Amino acid sequence: MDNSTLIKTQGLVKRYPVGGGHFTALKGIDLNVNSGEFVGLVGPSGSGKTTLLNIIGALDAPSEGTVEVLGKDLETLSGAQAAKHRSAFMGFIFQTYNLLPVYTAFENVEFPLLLLGKSAEERKQLVMRALEWVGIADKADSRPKMLSGGESQRVAIARAMVKEPKLVLADEPTANLDAKNSHHILETMVRLNKELGTTFVFATHDEKVISYLHRKVTLVDGSIQSDETS
Amino acid sequence: MILFKLAWRNLVGAGLRTWLNVLVLAMAFILMIWGKGVVDGMAYQLNDAMTNIEFGKGGQIWHSEYDAMDPLTIEDSHAAYPEEVNTLIAAHTAAPILIRQGTIYPDGRMQTIKVKGIHPEQEVMDLPTDQIVKGATGLTPALIGQKMADKSGLEVGDLLTVRWRDAKGTFDAREVEIVHIMNTVVQTVDRNQIWIPLDELQEMSNLQGEATVIALDDPFEGVPASAAWVYRDLDFLMKDMNDMIKSKNFGGNVMYGILFAIALLAIFDTQVLAIFRRKKEMGTLMALGFTRAKVIGLFTIEGSMHGLIAFAVGFILGSPLFYLMTTKGYAIPGGMDDYGMALGNVIYGRYGPDLLIGTTFILFLTVVLVSYLPTRKISKLTPTDALRGK
Repeated sequence: MDNSTLIKTQGLVKRYPVGGGHFTALKGIDLNVNSGEFVGLVGPSGSGKTTLLNIIGALDAPSEGTVEVLGKDLETLSGAQAAKHRSAFMGFIFQTYNLLPVYTAFENVEFPLLLLGKSAEERKQLVMRALEWVGIADKADSRPKMLSGGESQRVAIARAMVKEPKLVLADEPTANLDAKNSHHILETMVRLNKELGTTFVFATHDEKVISYLHRKVTLVDGSIQSDETS
Repeated sequence: MILFKLAWRNLVGAGLRTWLNVLVLAMAFILMIWGKGVVDGMAYQLNDAMTNIEFGKGGQIWHSEYDAMDPLTIEDSHAAYPEEVNTLIAAHTAAPILIRQGTIYPDGRMQTIKVKGIHPEQEVMDLPTDQIVKGATGLTPALIGQKMADKSGLEVGDLLTVRWRDAKGTFDAREVEIVHIMNTVVQTVDRNQIWIPLDELQEMSNLQGEATVIALDDPFEGVPASAAWVYRDLDFLMKDMNDMIKSKNFGGNVMYGILFAIALLAIFDTQVLAIFRRKKEMGTLMALGFTRAKVIGLFTIEGSMHGLIAFAVGFILGSPLFYLMTTKGYAIPGGMDDYGMALGNVIYGRYGPDLLIGTTFILFLTVVLVSYLPTRKISKLTPTDALRGK
C-alpha cells in the first residue's frame, strides 16, 4: 500500500442472510482513498454506502475481500483490536448525531479522550479547542436535549475531531439539518480537512454535501458506478 | 476506572430513575437489617434469660425419668444427688432443685402447681431465692412470680394452703407464706409454681438429700456415674427455643426476601429496559472505541452502583433507627406475654458487624448478579445493529 493510501479495499463483498437466501449489499468493491481526501460515497438508498462505511470503520466485517485501513488488514483484527483501532485513528459522525443523552456537550466531546487516557487538564484544553472549532463553546454545559439539530451535529463533529483522528467517517451528516445548518456544518468540515489534513469519507445522497466533495464515488446496487474527482 | 467514572455519570444523569431505584433498594436494605437485628436481639435475650434464669450457664443434670414437658414424670423423678456434684453444690456452682406436684386453693379454688425446692443461698440461677426466708409467722416461706401472683390474686404476706403427696403417696398439707413476688421475663419459672426452701420440700416429701434436677454453672464433663442421672447440655435444653428462633428467622427471611426481590426487580427491569432502549448508545460507545466486554462492564457497574448508593443511603437513613433499636428497644405489646417467650417488655435489636457486613455483602453480590444477567444480551449485539437501534 502506498504511503499516502489510507483506505484500500479489494473485491469487497457483503452479503446479508434474508429468509432462506441472502441479499448482496456490496458486490466486489475496489476502492483506494488517500490521506487528506474529502470523499463521498454517493448513491440512492440501498446502494451500499453505509455498509461500505461501516466496513471501513471496522464496525462490520465483509463476507469476501480485504480492507486495509491505515495499513491494518481489518480482517486480522480481533474485536478488542478493532475497537482500539477505532479509538486511536477514527472519528464517526452519524445522521442522528448519537450524542450520549445524559452527558453535557463537553462530556460528549471529552469521551474519546477518556478512552485514550488523556489527563483531565489535557482533556479540558482539547475539548474546548474542538468546541471552538465548531463554534459551540458557549454550549459546553448543555445536554443534548437542550441543543438544536445543528448544534447537536456540531457537537458530534467536535467529538469526532477532538482527538485529531486520521480518518473521519460521516454517515448522512446533514440528513436531519436544514440548508443553513448543513452548509455551516460542511464548511466546518472542509476547514478542518484543510487545516488538520484529516481524511473525510461521507456516505450521502444529499446534494448539498455532494457540492462540497472533492471526490465523488457513486454506488449503485452495491457496485461502484463512477469515481469522479473535481 | 473509566468505567466507574462513566457509570457514575450515567447514574447522575439518569436523575429520578436512579433515585427511585436507590430508594426502593435502600428501604429493603434497612428493613432487612432491622428485621434481622430484631430477631437476633430476641434470640440473644431469650438465650440470655433462659440460660441465666431457667437453666444455669452449664446446663442441667436431670433425673433420668424427668421430662419437663410431661407432668406425669414428676412423681417418680427424684434421687439422691450424684456424687460428682456434691463439691459443686458446696461451692455454690451447682443448685439442686426438687420438683413435686401440688395443689393450692387461692380464693377457695383449686389450682394444680409445681412446688419447687431450692437452696435460698444458691447462686447458679438468677432468681431472688435469697428472699425465701421465714417471716414473722414462722411458716414455710414461698417465692412466686408476678404472673402467678396476678393469676391467683396473691400478694406478699398472703397465706396459702399447699397440698402434696409424699414419697409414699400420702397426701399432706401445709400453710405457706408468700414472702416475695419476683418480676421475671421467664414464664417457666413463674406460672403455676411456687419456690420454697429445698430442705423443707425434702422434709415435706420425705425425700431428704434428693433432687429432680441440678442446675450447673459450668458444663458437666463426661457422664454422671449413676444411671439415675442424665446430663442435659444447653443445646438440649434450648432446642425448642432455638427451633422457634429458626422458624421466626425463616418467616422473616421470606418476607424480607420478597421485599428485596421487588427491589431487585426494579434494577433488573431498569437494566432490561436500558438494553432495549439504549442500543443506539451502545453502538455509539462501540464506534467510539468500546469493546463489547467494556459495554457489558459499564452497564453491570451502572446497575451495581445502584446497590452501592442504596447501601450508603441505607446506612445514613437506617443508622438512627438501628441506634434507637439498640438503646431504647422495641416495646412489645402486652399480649405477647401469652406467647410464653422469655422476652420481657422490650426487645433490643442487635446490629453487629457480622450482620451489617454479611447482609451488605450478600445483597451486593445479588445486585451485581441481577445487574449482569440482562447485559449478557449485549454480547450478541453487533455494532451496526446497535447503531441502528435494532
